[in-house]
Amino acid sequence: MAAVIHTQGLVKRYGKVRALDGLDLDVEAGQIHGFLGPNGAGKTTTIRVLLGLARATSGEATVFGADPWRDAVAIHRRVAYIPGDVSIWPNLSGGEAIDLLARLRGAKRHDRGYTAEKERLMEAFQFDPRKKGRAYSKGNRQKVALIAALAVPAELYLFDEPTSGLDPLMEVMFRREIARVKAAGATVLLSSHILSEVERLCDRVSIIRAGRIVESGTLADLRHLTRTEVSFEGTDASAAAVIAGAHDVVAEDGRVSFTLDSDQVAAALPELALLQVVGLRVNPPSLEELFLRHYGDDLAALEGNGR
Amino acid sequence: MTQLRVLLAQRLRRDWLQLTLWIAGTVGLAFAGYGGVADTYGTEQDRIGTLAAVMANPVILLFRGLPSGADESALLVFLLLPWLAVMGSFMSTFLAVRHTRGDEEIGRLELVDATPAGRWAPTVATLVHGTLAALALGILVAASFLAGGAATEGALLVGASVAAVTLVFLAVGMLSAQLMRTSRGANSLAVWILIATFVLRGIGNAMGTPSDDLTRMESSWLTWASPFGWGENTRAFDENQWWPLLPCLAAFVVLMAAAFALQAVRDVGGGIVPERAGRAAARGALSSTTVLVSRLSAPSTVGWMVGGLLTGALSTTLGKVLDQVAGENPTIADVLRSLAASGDLEQAVVVVFFTMVGLFAACAAVQTVARARQEEAHGTAEAVLATPVQRVRWLANFLVVGFIAILLTCAAAVGGAALGATGDDAGPELLRAAVVAAAGQVVAASVFLVLTALVFAVAPHLTIPLGWTLVSVAIVLGLFGPLFDFPDALVNLSPFAVTPQIDGDGVDLRGLWWLVLAVAAGGAASLVLMRRRELAPEG
Repeated sequence: MAAVIHTQGLVKRYGKVRALDGLDLDVEAGQIHGFLGPNGAGKTTTIRVLLGLARATSGEATVFGADPWRDAVAIHRRVAYIPGDVSIWPNLSGGEAIDLLARLRGAKRHDRGYTAEKERLMEAFQFDPRKKGRAYSKGNRQKVALIAALAVPAELYLFDEPTSGLDPLMEVMFRREIARVKAAGATVLLSSHILSEVERLCDRVSIIRAGRIVESGTLADLRHLTRTEVSFEGTDASAAAVIAGAHDVVAEDGRVSFTLDSDQVAAALPELALLQVVGLRVNPPSLEELFLRHYGDDLAALEGNGR
Repeated sequence: MTQLRVLLAQRLRRDWLQLTLWIAGTVGLAFAGYGGVADTYGTEQDRIGTLAAVMANPVILLFRGLPSGADESALLVFLLLPWLAVMGSFMSTFLAVRHTRGDEEIGRLELVDATPAGRWAPTVATLVHGTLAALALGILVAASFLAGGAATEGALLVGASVAAVTLVFLAVGMLSAQLMRTSRGANSLAVWILIATFVLRGIGNAMGTPSDDLTRMESSWLTWASPFGWGENTRAFDENQWWPLLPCLAAFVVLMAAAFALQAVRDVGGGIVPERAGRAAARGALSSTTVLVSRLSAPSTVGWMVGGLLTGALSTTLGKVLDQVAGENPTIADVLRSLAASGDLEQAVVVVFFTMVGLFAACAAVQTVARARQEEAHGTAEAVLATPVQRVRWLANFLVVGFIAILLTCAAAVGGAALGATGDDAGPELLRAAVVAAAGQVVAASVFLVLTALVFAVAPHLTIPLGWTLVSVAIVLGLFGPLFDFPDALVNLSPFAVTPQIDGDGVDLRGLWWLVLAVAAGGAASLVLMRRRELAPEG
């Protein structure tokens, strides 16, 4: 499949800070691609380079095969964007801001299709368009950008932490909209630091750290890299030692827990049955664990400082 | 009490530079005024002649104080007191709103309210802070009069009047901060009250009864409806009346009490006047960045147009009066001729006033380009530039709208000049001078438009400070250069100083082509450089 986004060795320096330090990212058509990393890892900088709002210091970046710095306008005709921190004009109402952005993206003034779509989204996101910009909360400003982005069809959606100000109900609506644009064949790059969101939505995930991609693949690929966590009620750790492939066996808080390589879970089940365990829990590998593998040393350093 | 002290210290720390500038500027105006009056209106005869001419002209009375005799200090009070009071009032309304509604709107106040400081301490701290600022201003104004050698009681009374009016507007600011939900709304309400009461007082004075020797005016009742009117009716260095300060203090207490009463009944973050709802959908026209930029710039442009209109009207009405004054006071005539560089006095007045119009137009232009920077820093530019809008076109929109703002400001001034010239024999001549001057100022102001755009393209973070600095420098060179005998080469650096003028029957183009060249080159350069520049949000 064709790469919609392709970067290789992308470097972006701000003074001495290397915001991007050799970033290799590929997003193929029709994918929902999760872009994971904590604040400051370079997610927003990457998106700004892809939009041609910032110029790469070195390395290669293409969107739809075009150079985002030189061909920004041509690319923007096919892209919808939601910034991480949405600001809108203080003296325009929310409805006016949505219409303005949608029209700049090509919606026609009397297009019934656009108006109907906008109405539907405003209903879905419970958005009041009549307030002036300065009166909106963060979540409501986010909705302005969401509605303007979703009301006009695009081939590529760039979302920079799109749900950071939304409540859980609105997040559900957002997930439905993502499913809708995916069904329509669009490509999505979803930057986030919320692991569960990415886990639910994305086909593929790239983890960024200090301006570099440290892990990239499908969720299934990535899961193979991690272990499944198993635990049951009991106080005797030696009970679990008989199970083949069990690692890190501990007995704590009245439970015995250990980890298994994910492909050995099925083989371990009969042995667990023989032990007649009570309160069995099997937790599949989570993105969080994967994430912590890459950021674990940061966490350890933070905890070290805390002491 | 501890909390109050902490909050007060925080206010002083946040404001010290700003307040120092406000107070120093106001006191500096008073101090400079003293020397100016002594030079220009040296003899009592000069002063009596000036006052007599002024009495006949309501337009001048609108912008000056209450004529109270031909004493040197009293004349200075007539010329300056309203402006000292206006500067103090602006200082205190902005101060009041900044520390109450301003903090509340952003959500900072909520942090403070949730501590043991509670809901009242921040408001009380602002009240104390503003009162201290007003008192400091009053004391320093009095000191500057004393330093100039004025009589003690009069000097103290001038200081007290300035402080009293400043206090009233502190309360006005506090009250409008309670009424409106946004700091922008509160500031504009307070400023409108300020302007309205200032104009009311001027009209009241113009409608007053002059004394027989034409050196004193009794205010009409209208003046008594304005805090500025109360301040002026103290007549410092003349009758030295202290009692008109009582209504100031009463208004301060009543308005302040009202502000506290309103705060007692409302929620934090809420307002008393409901926000007007906006349109649910945009009008058809709002579908390009050109329209967006026009819409964002419209309110400020209208403000500069009003300034242009009034200045234009003054330029043709004042000519007559000044002719009369200059007949009796050669110093003024000399000053005007040196500013206008030549010619007939009435036309010279028009030229001087249109330099002011050019200044307004330049301000309108700089403000428009500064808005591009605000959009960029605020993040709204990013949303627009992520759609199919070219960076270069986007900046070009601001240049076009800025140029239209210049045209409108100058056109409004010509309109004003036409109104002022009606019924004057020399009307057509004056109007011709006004049109030539206005056309020249369009080009001069455009220089600032492209210079600011150039700064925006090269060093975005400096756009706002540098843009305004350039205008200020040009103002000093162009308006005051000839007065202070700066070298010509320096004065002519200011675009305002080299615009075309009427010369006999023809028009002297002076530096016109240089200006046009600068505008074209600057405009093109800023657009080319914008192509190469990435977006630079705040930080």
